[in-house]
Amino acid sequence: MTARDPDCVLVSAPVPGCFHGRVPILEQVQLATQTYRLRLGAPELARAIRPGQFVMLRLPQTTDPLLGRPLALYDTVLDAAGLPVGVDIVYLVVGRLTGRLPPLRAGDQLEVWGPLGNGFPDLSGTAHVGLVAGGIGQTPFLAYVRELLGDRSYGGRPARRQVQRVSLFYGVRSADRAAGVEDFRATGATVHLASDDGSLGFRGFVTQLLEQRDMPDHLVGCGPEPMLQALAELARRRGVPCHLSLETPMACGLGICFSCVVPVRTAEGWDYRRACVDGPVFRADDLLFEVPPAR
Amino acid sequence: MAQLSVTLGRLTLRNPIVVASGTFGYAREMAAFIDFARLGAIIPKTVTRLPRAGNRPPRTVETPSGMLNAIGLDNDGIDHFIAQHLPYLRRLPTAIIANIAGKTVDEFVELAERLGAEPGLAGLELNLSCPNVSGGIDFATDPRTTSEVVRRVRAVCPLPLIAKLTPNVTDVTVIAQAAADAGADAVSLVNTFIGMAVDWRRRRPILGHVTGGLSGPAIKPLALRLVWQVARQVAVPVIGIGGITTIDDVMEFLVAGARAVQLGTVNFFDPTAAQRISGELPAALATLGATSVEQIVGTLRLNGD
Repeated sequence: MTARDPDCVLVSAPVPGCFHGRVPILEQVQLATQTYRLRLGAPELARAIRPGQFVMLRLPQTTDPLLGRPLALYDTVLDAAGLPVGVDIVYLVVGRLTGRLPPLRAGDQLEVWGPLGNGFPDLSGTAHVGLVAGGIGQTPFLAYVRELLGDRSYGGRPARRQVQRVSLFYGVRSADRAAGVEDFRATGATVHLASDDGSLGFRGFVTQLLEQRDMPDHLVGCGPEPMLQALAELARRRGVPCHLSLETPMACGLGICFSCVVPVRTAEGWDYRRACVDGPVFRADDLLFEVPPAR
Repeated sequence: MAQLSVTLGRLTLRNPIVVASGTFGYAREMAAFIDFARLGAIIPKTVTRLPRAGNRPPRTVETPSGMLNAIGLDNDGIDHFIAQHLPYLRRLPTAIIANIAGKTVDEFVELAERLGAEPGLAGLELNLSCPNVSGGIDFATDPRTTSEVVRRVRAVCPLPLIAKLTPNVTDVTVIAQAAADAGADAVSLVNTFIGMAVDWRRRRPILGHVTGGLSGPAIKPLALRLVWQVARQVAVPVIGIGGITTIDDVMEFLVAGARAVQLGTVNFFDPTAAQRISGELPAALATLGATSVEQIVGTLRLNGD
């Protein structure tokens, strides 16, 4: 594993923008079944974070659960003067930590560190971008749509329209799981919905829906691994460049534990890369998905 | 102003707060969170002779107040370490202690010889105890192999030596004694306890490697007992490791006999902990009326004394 200098992530000490501390919950809203939006009062994070990056979040004053959980930026929150004052995170209740979040209220505190990870690519000059989400994989795309359409500034970079058109393809198990659809519609992106049971939009996989529409010039995916694998295969077949944002079991989010590795192609064959510092966004063509036989 | 420095054989550290190998990357990952000058030493991730991809994921899983890991010594080998990591590490304002693991005694000797010739290292920690590597020998489960590695490394490498020991043995004092007799400046203990996690619905182990090493607050009482036992029975400086998360944990290990401590898993879930705990040390010493760390090391009073 080559430990690349994560210069885009952890700048240097103690630079404003790399934050670790306790922050207050400003509000919590249920968006869908088992799905909540959590607003954190964290101005340092809000000023620095870019679409596709994530934060680690944990419960304070306990060692059980022990580790933080990686959660993508949903969007930054601006005050009346347009200054970033908070970050929104959207989470699905899946386990021991997320299961303890829903009862938390405004004023309760969480520990958080970030921003972490490389973030989504600059797609300047691309006419039509397709964002493909499955399950809870839509959450990193709201800020990205706004960045691509020049609607919002992130990480201190001036807002600038990068692309002509953004389409979101969003697949869920059933209608009650769809979270944030109105937020996406409000951005000006074209929203295409799919569900496994047909209770919302197209009945079937989101990748099947994508194949029925105008193929975008660049695809970016986030969701369950089988969906990402299908998307990578589709992109390869159609000759469309594609990036994927991965979620892997992560202990630190910082690049120090070497837990969250994924196998990628390298000049020498393959090697593991840490999803937290070399990702979470990878070029689809670089990903192997299956671990090759031991070398 | 309290005297924070500690001496372990030929190794003197500015303070007893050390960050453990495998829990601090190659330090640069932590530059945004930690003022390295506040640490007694940094021990970067274990380096091996050849690059190792490491174990298949999942490599970690959380357990009650702890975690299991089976990373498998994922690293790019000694050439890469010397070319890419050491130039950065040796510029940092704290002691750097390299950590090495060999599959054979000869590999340990070769690694130690090469690092002993490099400027900018304060010491060498011998990883005799990684539980997650198949094909290698777990040197620290046997006093003879422990002794042989330490003795032969000592003969070729001028750096102060720390033997890192496994708790997965019947009597760790025997191993510690062997390391001390062979010339180790200090022993560090404990490495992780071998454990396992099972997904019964899928009838599968959770870790890709099946078993892994348990660390975190869950192991602190186990580690404390072993550190205390070695410190009172073996005439060698002890570096205490195992679930240390707060300044209170640090003080417990020092009083029990550790002359320094390593912070490990806490770095994963509290990235500024090492610096904060280091800053809390003078006040904790003052609570005991001590003016130096050395004054409190091994001062545990047994019931009835």
